[in-house]
Amino acid sequence: MKTSKKIILLGHFGVGKSSLIRQFVENTFTNDYKVTIGVHILKKEVELAPEEKISLIIWDLEGYDDIKKTRASYLLGTHGFIYVFDVTRPATFENLENDITYLTNQYANTPLKVVGNKADLVTKSYLKENKDTFGVAPDFFTSAKTGDKVDDLFITLAKELVK
Amino acid sequence: MTEADKLALLKDLLLTDDRAYAESIHTKIKALEDLVHKQQKLSKKVNPIIDEKLEEFTEQIPETLGPTITEALAEQIKNSKDQVVEALYPIMGKMIKKYIAQEISLLTERINKQLEDSFSANSWKRKFKSWFGGVKEEELLLSELRSISKVEQVLVIEKNSGMLIGQYATTETIDKDMISGMLTAIKSFVEDAFNEKSQNLELIEYELYHIHIQSFVSFYVAVAISGEYNLIFKNKLQDIIFNFTENFLNLFNDLSEIKEADITNELEFYFSTNENL
Repeated sequence: MKTSKKIILLGHFGVGKSSLIRQFVENTFTNDYKVTIGVHILKKEVELAPEEKISLIIWDLEGYDDIKKTRASYLLGTHGFIYVFDVTRPATFENLENDITYLTNQYANTPLKVVGNKADLVTKSYLKENKDTFGVAPDFFTSAKTGDKVDDLFITLAKELVK
Repeated sequence: MTEADKLALLKDLLLTDDRAYAESIHTKIKALEDLVHKQQKLSKKVNPIIDEKLEEFTEQIPETLGPTITEALAEQIKNSKDQVVEALYPIMGKMIKKYIAQEISLLTERINKQLEDSFSANSWKRKFKSWFGGVKEEELLLSELRSISKVEQVLVIEKNSGMLIGQYATTETIDKDMISGMLTAIKSFVEDAFNEKSQNLELIEYELYHIHIQSFVSFYVAVAISGEYNLIFKNKLQDIIFNFTENFLNLFNDLSEIKEADITNELEFYFSTNENL
């Protein structure tokens, strides 16, 4: 039987949700910023182990300053969430704790990964020093530009989804 | 007369009545034993009593058990609303559709009357075909309408998540999983935008193509059609989808249990030939 899982990327405008997906699905990156309107859906088949494949249907939602404004009908039936923030823009993580609490309350049994993106723009020591300022400890620091930790992020979540 | 004889005589005089009484009791017990141990005899006696009691009980059911049964049923329906609606949906849909089909046939008849009065070349051609072929003119007209519509793709999609449950396609398109997701997103957006949760998006049009959408409780069926999409075609399409749902999908409690290949085979059976439509 084919295994397909729906993953949704959430977060503020311009944090790099679409870039992360494009890097994961197409191995490409562009500096041109095109705002996502509504929703964009992409798919990638991942081999988790020999003879074990999973299709990830990835929903790239338009960014919102307030997570509660996200269209609830898009979130229905989701198997996993990825919450993305920009490590260089405090506005994108100042409500991180509340947003994560909201998500875990509303979708208690749905796996969630918190991601600090654009890690290539800061140093590793900056990330280490500012870890506490994000409010919630991120599961990954990624760079959609260099591809660093992008595959790890999606594959880790995929493995959790088939457990 | 010895003492012993006297005593026996006295005993006889004193216990005669008791003995007779004991004997009658013994006979009655024997008769009862006989009655109890022989089913046929017992049935003869007991059955009328049971029948009478049963009749009384049946008469009293509405009064005694009625409220309890009604309450239990109401509770059960309340707790399993989706299952009840899922089960009733195709039946209700068919009933409504039969009525609509009747209305459409009346309308068709009226159109036919009008067509009789027309003198277009096609009309004459159809008339000749009908006269020489022995086929009714309205049937020829319907087959003409049918031949210009074609089912390109059928998708069965989980309503909430937008995940593809199964599909059948006559022509290859872009990834079906992505189409399912996008269709669900568009559908959710339209339904949210008008704030009408009970209303469903039923049709998407783009140039020569139409996407017919038929919603059920936990899933919906999207059919991509090229060419003409008219009421007659829509009607036939709805019937096929209702039949497919009722005869196949409703056999499963959990749609995720169905193998995609099985759905494809079933869809192919229902949609593969345009003769069905």
